[in-house]
Amino acid sequence: MFTCKESVDLLLRFLDGEMPEDEARHLEEHLAACPPCVDFLRTYQATPTLCRRALGAQMPQELADRLTQFLRQKCRK
Amino acid sequence: MAEQQQIAPDQGTADAEFLARAQKGDLAAFEALVELHRDKVYGLALRMTRSDADASEITQETFLSAYQHMGEFRGEAAFGSWVHRIAANHALMRLRHRSVVQAAEQELKGPEFNERGSFADYPATDWSRRADEKVLDDELRVAIQQATDHLPEGHREVFLLKDVEGLSYEQIAEITGDSVPAIKSRLHRARLALREAIDRFYNEK
Repeated sequence: MFTCKESVDLLLRFLDGEMPEDEARHLEEHLAACPPCVDFLRTYQATPTLCRRALGAQMPQELADRLTQFLRQKCRK
Repeated sequence: MAEQQQIAPDQGTADAEFLARAQKGDLAAFEALVELHRDKVYGLALRMTRSDADASEITQETFLSAYQHMGEFRGEAAFGSWVHRIAANHALMRLRHRSVVQAAEQELKGPEFNERGSFADYPATDWSRRADEKVLDDELRVAIQQATDHLPEGHREVFLLKDVEGLSYEQIAEITGDSVPAIKSRLHRARLALREAIDRFYNEK
C-alpha cells in the first residue's frame, strides 16, 4: 500500500485518469483508509478553481477604447 | 479585480456568425468578436506578464494577428481558443525576452511528511468547499496572487496556461517547446505550492 507521500506524488496522474488500473486501485485503497489524504485530495482539486477566481481580470474601459482605435487604424490599411 | 466572465452558452453561435461576416471584410463584425473576447485575452496577458502596459500591447498584437490570419482560420477549434493560443504565444515570447530573477525550484513549498511517509501535520481545515462560495475573500485573493507571483517562472507559466487559461498539455508543449512529462511535473509542483499557500491562509486565519 502507498504512503501519504507516495499518494500525493501520484495525485495529478490519478486525477487526469492516466494511471494503470492496479496502481489506481492501490491509491484508492490508501485513500479509503486515510482521512488526511482524502482532505488533501479535495483541497488539491479545489486549488485551480480558487486560483482561477482570484486571478480574474477585465480590461479597463480606457484600454478597451484604445484597442478599438488601434484596430480600426491598422485593419483599414 | 473582477472575476472571470462566464461564457454564455450561445457565444459559440455568435462567434461563428460574426466570424463569417468578418472573414468577408465586415470590420464591425470583427470588432464585435474583439469585444466578446478582449477580457479573456487581456486577462491572460496580464496574468502572464504582470504588466498593464505589456498586457495592453499583447492584446493589440493578438487581435491584429487574428485579423491578418482570419482567412486561414477554418473553425476546427472555437474562435476563443484560437485567439487565446495566439495571446499565449505573444505573452510567452515577451517573457522570454525579459531577464527575470527566477525563484529557485527548491524554494517551492509542498506538504511535509515524517520518516514513515505520513503527513507531518494533519490539516485543520478542509477548505475545498470554499472554492464555490459566491464571494471570494479579498485577503485570499491577494494571498493567491502573491503565491502565484512567487512561483518559479516555468512553473507559473504552466500553471497559468493549464489551470487558469484551460489549454491542453499538448497545446502548452507546442507553445513552450517543453515535453508533456516536464509540463505535468511543473504543474503538480505549482499546484502543491499554491495549495499550501491557500491552506496557510485558512489555517492561520
